[in-house]
Amino acid sequence: MKGLQLKAIPVTLFGLTLAITVAAVALSLGLEPLYDTLLYALLGLTLGAAGAVVASQHPRNRIGWMFLGLAILNVLADLAQGWGLRAAEQGWPGGAAGDWIQTWSWMPTGLGWVLIFLLFPDGRLISRRWRFVPWCAALALVLGVPGRSLSPDRDPEFASGSNPLAVEALPTDALMAVGMTLHLVAALGAVVALVVRLRRSHGVERQQLKWFALAATIAVVVLSLSFALWDHSALIRVLAALSLTSLPIAACVAILRYRLYDIDVVISRTLVYGALTVALAAAFGATTLVLGAALGSGSAWTTAAATLVVATAFRPLRARLQDAVDRRFNRARHAALERIAGFLEDLRAGRAAPERIEELLRDILADPRLELRFFLPESEVYVDANGRAATDPPGDGRERTAIGRAGAPLAMVIHGPAGEGGPEGLPQVVEAAGLAIEIARLRVDLRRHLDEVKASRARLVAAGDEERRRIERDLHDGAQQRLVSIGLALRHAQHELNGASPSAGHALEGAVAEIAVAIEELRELARGVRPAQLDAGLAPALRELAGRAPLRVEVAATAERFPHGVEAAAYFVASEGLTNAIKHARASRVVLRAAPGDGRLVVSVADDGVGGARASDGSGLAGLSDRVIAQGGALSIESDPGTGTRLTAELPCGW
Amino acid sequence: MRVVIAEDQVLLREGLGRLFVDGGHEVVASLGDADRLVATVTGHRPDLVLVDVRLPPTFTDEGVRAAKEIKEIHPDVGVLVLSQHVETTHVVSLVPLAGFGYLLKDRVLEVGEFLASAERVAQGGSALDRQIVARLVSPGGGSDPLGELTERERDVLELMAEGLTNAAIARRLYLSARTVETHVRHLLMKLDIPEGEDGHRRVLAVLAHLSATQSQY
Repeated sequence: MKGLQLKAIPVTLFGLTLAITVAAVALSLGLEPLYDTLLYALLGLTLGAAGAVVASQHPRNRIGWMFLGLAILNVLADLAQGWGLRAAEQGWPGGAAGDWIQTWSWMPTGLGWVLIFLLFPDGRLISRRWRFVPWCAALALVLGVPGRSLSPDRDPEFASGSNPLAVEALPTDALMAVGMTLHLVAALGAVVALVVRLRRSHGVERQQLKWFALAATIAVVVLSLSFALWDHSALIRVLAALSLTSLPIAACVAILRYRLYDIDVVISRTLVYGALTVALAAAFGATTLVLGAALGSGSAWTTAAATLVVATAFRPLRARLQDAVDRRFNRARHAALERIAGFLEDLRAGRAAPERIEELLRDILADPRLELRFFLPESEVYVDANGRAATDPPGDGRERTAIGRAGAPLAMVIHGPAGEGGPEGLPQVVEAAGLAIEIARLRVDLRRHLDEVKASRARLVAAGDEERRRIERDLHDGAQQRLVSIGLALRHAQHELNGASPSAGHALEGAVAEIAVAIEELRELARGVRPAQLDAGLAPALRELAGRAPLRVEVAATAERFPHGVEAAAYFVASEGLTNAIKHARASRVVLRAAPGDGRLVVSVADDGVGGARASDGSGLAGLSDRVIAQGGALSIESDPGTGTRLTAELPCGW
Repeated sequence: MRVVIAEDQVLLREGLGRLFVDGGHEVVASLGDADRLVATVTGHRPDLVLVDVRLPPTFTDEGVRAAKEIKEIHPDVGVLVLSQHVETTHVVSLVPLAGFGYLLKDRVLEVGEFLASAERVAQGGSALDRQIVARLVSPGGGSDPLGELTERERDVLELMAEGLTNAAIARRLYLSARTVETHVRHLLMKLDIPEGEDGHRRVLAVLAHLSATQSQY
């Protein structure tokens, strides 16, 4: 309820401003130049609108209310002026009152501007030391208004030709002189206050002040020019009104923080195009002058040539000016953008890893706590550069700025607050680095997927190993034992027969022999599935493997134990390598090695055979490679013809 | 011969029991696990304990651990370990002991030979499965002291390791007893083993040592 009431006040005041403006325009219309009427009406309405918007959004900020007050003062002055003009024309009474208000109304308006300059953007003084400025302005008003309005010197400003309120006895000149001096001091103080604020500010406040200061600078320049050119050019009077109008607009943008960071672009463009206009005008003038002397003034050729010069110079000149402006006024940003451009160049040339972008941003923006979080569209989570899901609890004193690309979220910058030495120019820097961030994001995404694939492959292999172990157990402890039991039963039957039936005894003998063969076959089968010796360790398993080989096999194996998957992979490498040596290499001697080192287990099978083996030769080696890679390892084959074959697998055993 | 059997599978346990009974021996106790094995052995003082390597609860090396304990407490009781497959790691330290044997389970089907091995072990001799002996004498490691042996000497060594007497070796290899004795003398010399009555066990000691040093890389 209270909020509604509070919001109603600015709207009401703006409505009042509008009503007065309409009245003032109606009164003045046709009695002074049209632009005068409309532009000052526009100024009043702009002040009122800006004030109303700011006051309703930020009712605690005095600036909005001050703009509203200033608007009403302005339009009241317009109304008084209009009344004076219309009354003189129509012969209405009270025209002199309008004229009289007109003589001094600019003074409270000036006070309003002083206060706004002094208090922008938060409505508070920089410090108590600056309190003298508003006092000074108020005193100037108290002395200046009577000094001006009661002076007989104002007679020409009245339609009647005389100031009806003139008081000869008053030392109006002295009052006016003191008042104007105080007014100037206050105005100067306000400008200095703005400059001091600008120099001390950083972050958001700096951007806000930049907006206002830009408009103020333009206004000051245009108003200074207008003093000199007021009577010569209507254009300058239009510009003066427009430049004043730009002040509330700038203030409004700054306080509402709408496109706050565009100010740097606006300043840069203003400077560049201002300088460009001057330079091109000079070039045009100089060309016209030189060629005019040669070809005679007024020649169409001269104009054409000058135009050509200007047209040709436009683009290169603009680029140079832009560069110069960036260098001079935005050195830090310029350097930052150049570093990012250099980084992108390195990226293109393959000299830099895209992941370094986080480090670079940290460095450029001088924010050691800055971190990048990449958005993964598939799982819709933010992850860090290592692909781990980001858990950054809010409330660590850092701010989050989302980065998008083509409308989709791309990443998030977590950085120190902009207000306290935090990253200034973050949006521009991040925009420039967008490509690198996108590439880094893609790589993170890819890595995450690869990690998932690796993990699932390792799980598959582990599950396969477990299954082999189970089958091996089943064969040994189930089928094989059962066969032995049956064999024993047959032997018992044989014993019971006690030679009573030689043919039955014979048959039983044959059956037992069959059973013995079956058991041996089962044992071989189980060993192929998974050597039981692996339970005892890699070294015994390798020695068992060597012991069954039909050629001389030396084993040098560590007695250390490793994770099951690593031992199994190492065993199968040795087994496959040995099989190859036996089948294809025509080797006479094989050396099996298994040595730990550097967090890895290195297994090698070296023979003295004919060499020339290739991984693509047999699916055995290819399958082996898959198994080794599933453990995060690498398999290599050295096998030049005539030098034997060496199969080496390096298996990380940290996991 | 009085026998204690520790085997978890009922059918096999019964089959083994019958085997010994058929062979004229006495089975004084049969158990399904290793828990009370030592206590049973202490109570019955059998001539032979027959024990499966894999026993409940983990089915890894319970049998071997029980065998070790029995040999420590009752060195005079013969222990014959049965296994489904060849494994040297667990048993290598037991190999040189008197009255110890280690055979693959399906050897029981060769009844005569199996009972002979069992009796040998019960009497303080040894019985190693030929596959295990092959493993122990197989080349491996850098220096192979067995490399100096002739093929014949190696054959004799393997049979010695299996636990056969010189006479049995002679029969098995179709050699004269004298020739076998000569081979034994030569191989003991080459392996740096002083000649003595207990040549067999010394051979086993050497093999066990070789195997152990291999394990240590």
